Amino acid sequence: MTVTVTAATATDTPLDFGDPADLDQLRRRFRAWLAEHPLPERGADEPLPVFLHRWHRQLHSGGWVGLDVPQAYGGQGLSTLHQVAISDELGACQAPGIPRIGYLAHALLEFGSEEQCRRWLPRMLSGEDTWCQGFSEPGAGSDLAGMATTATRQDGHYLVRGQKLWTSYAQFSGLCLLLARTERADPATDPSARPHDSISAFALPLDRAGVTVRPLRAANGDDEFCELFLDDVRIEESERIGAEGTGWPLAMTTVSYERNALDTGHISRYGVLVERLRRSARDRRGELPDGLLSEIGRCYVDYQVLVAHTRRRTAERLAGRTAGPESSYDKLLMTRTEQRLYETALRVFPGEFFGEGESSGGGPLFGDYLYSRAASVYGGTSQIQRNIIAKRVLGLPSAG
Amino acid sequence: MQAEEFMLVRDLVRTFATRFRVESADPDPSHRAAAQKALGELGLAELRGSTPPDATVQECALLAEEHGSRPLTTSLLGTVLLAPELLRLIGDQMSPDQVSPEAGPSQTIALAADLRFPGPAGTDLVAWDCEGADRALHVAPDGTVTSLALGPAVPSADLLRGIRSVPPDSPAVTLGRLDADRLMHWQAYALTLLSSELVGAARSFVGQSVDYARERRQYGRAIGSFQAVQHLLADATVLVEACTSATRYAAWCLDHEPPAQALTAARVAKAEVNASALDAVSIGMQVFGGIAQTWEHVAHLYLRRILLGSTTLATTADLLTTLAEPEPVR
Repeated sequence: MTVTVTAATATDTPLDFGDPADLDQLRRRFRAWLAEHPLPERGADEPLPVFLHRWHRQLHSGGWVGLDVPQAYGGQGLSTLHQVAISDELGACQAPGIPRIGYLAHALLEFGSEEQCRRWLPRMLSGEDTWCQGFSEPGAGSDLAGMATTATRQDGHYLVRGQKLWTSYAQFSGLCLLLARTERADPATDPSARPHDSISAFALPLDRAGVTVRPLRAANGDDEFCELFLDDVRIEESERIGAEGTGWPLAMTTVSYERNALDTGHISRYGVLVERLRRSARDRRGELPDGLLSEIGRCYVDYQVLVAHTRRRTAERLAGRTAGPESSYDKLLMTRTEQRLYETALRVFPGEFFGEGESSGGGPLFGDYLYSRAASVYGGTSQIQRNIIAKRVLGLPSAG
Repeated sequence: MQAEEFMLVRDLVRTFATRFRVESADPDPSHRAAAQKALGELGLAELRGSTPPDATVQECALLAEEHGSRPLTTSLLGTVLLAPELLRLIGDQMSPDQVSPEAGPSQTIALAADLRFPGPAGTDLVAWDCEGADRALHVAPDGTVTSLALGPAVPSADLLRGIRSVPPDSPAVTLGRLDADRLMHWQAYALTLLSSELVGAARSFVGQSVDYARERRQYGRAIGSFQAVQHLLADATVLVEACTSATRYAAWCLDHEPPAQALTAARVAKAEVNASALDAVSIGMQVFGGIAQTWEHVAHLYLRRILLGSTTLATTADLLTTLAEPEPVR
């Protein structure tokens, strides 16, 4: 039998896991800036997104947002690695991370026109505009291409009708990266028609007539997710991103950045909690059962493997590879790390089951635990990630 | 090494592994000696023989992956990559002309009888991965390195990897003593290279099971078209990738970071491989189905290697309890 290792996974030459030379300097400059511009105090009644938005503006004023965006569009013209290093530094001092706009910026850079990039990117980076993502629908979750929201062309503009779901922080956003169907291909008359090919992408200002935003309370009590109702909302042709029918590749680019461990900024958050568990293991030596001690060790291994994996991705990106279907590995490894970590944390700190919390029963760790259950759902479920690996990396045949 | 030079060496090992892989669990007795002799002729023991070494640890780790990818009776780790590194670390260069060819310069390493790193004096020892070796190097917990004579073969669950006893009365020749940093480097190096060989085995076997899932038909279609099978193979692939990232990074740390940091990375890698390489191979066997349960099929050779490898040098329990607490500040 012949052994074939798929090209996508064959990495049989040495990789450089080290930081590029100028990164160290950047990190030191950032630390110095951070010492002079510490994290602001959060107001007693200040909603988290509002507080994070103030933090975003402060980071931007120091030039620390959009490091990997060209200077012409308000960025610094550096690489993703530079932005990742800043996320890393923020995580190390337990500050909230860089605002998660990287994947939106990449979508605009790749699919938007010159004029659109100039119009939207600088304001996105500065925080003047806050964006959300209108992809999923009540009837289109894993099967995103089955979306029903339509954008009907009429006299040089579109009328959009439909409903979006899981649109994070839409109530605090000014613009929405929206997917809608611009023409419905009819498989009865055109057997080659795929539902993917009639999807287009738009930038929708949320203050437009016909838009209703309704926050949806999540299991952990947070009002992150929203429903978006669109009743004959007018969208200008100049607000369409890319050509008609290119919404699907744009969406896939967006989610593959969203899945990539490099671009999400979760890792430093895990690192802070893992170290808290390890300190607890040391301080309570002899008290914790062996099984729990092993679980803490396993959480540390998961986390460090994720760090190593991210460094490998970095090295590969430096060697010229882009985010592709392999970002599904990253997503599954992040999910594994996050879910075990918060499960273990509740066993180490059972006091977190009690108390009122900010918005639900239980302590803050319990809220984070509940949120970790979503890790295997958002950004494509773990089952969808496995489908992607099986078909697009391993090349396994389709059914039928 | 230069990139081209490395690829040349890697291809040599790849060709060697293809040529000398065993087809069944009962290799011809003459095969072992012939294969080891051919491996020796590749001259790889020189790679880590001098200071600074000719090959980086990451390059050696990649060679170990290649060697692990096929069922082989040869000792690449013990005699070619591990023992020479140990001799280099204690400054005992033992160039070939200092040792008579009849006696053979071949040393491997000694482990505790349960194959973990040797414990305090008085514990039973074995010579591990000892094909072609005449003596075994023992590293005591305090860093003292001694050379020991070998006894008869010790049969083990890994049918291919050679293990011999070390008689308790074996006269020990003291060669030197590793300081604390070198001792950490040594442990990290051994953990990383063994992990790499096991990753190579897991990657290869999972690749073979993916190929099989494309060819094998049931219910009139390739079994790889069933989602239940696809998800198993996707999981195995992610596990192999996790192992790969962890071992490559640990190897890079040995080349670039202080020994304490490299040892942590190596422990992480071994812990990941102990669990995930085993899971990946188990999945591969499941996909092969009945055929992988036979003596003739290579599946059990991979399983045996990885299962015994996962308890070698450091067990999961050893590693996880160590890693559960922050490193002591030195």
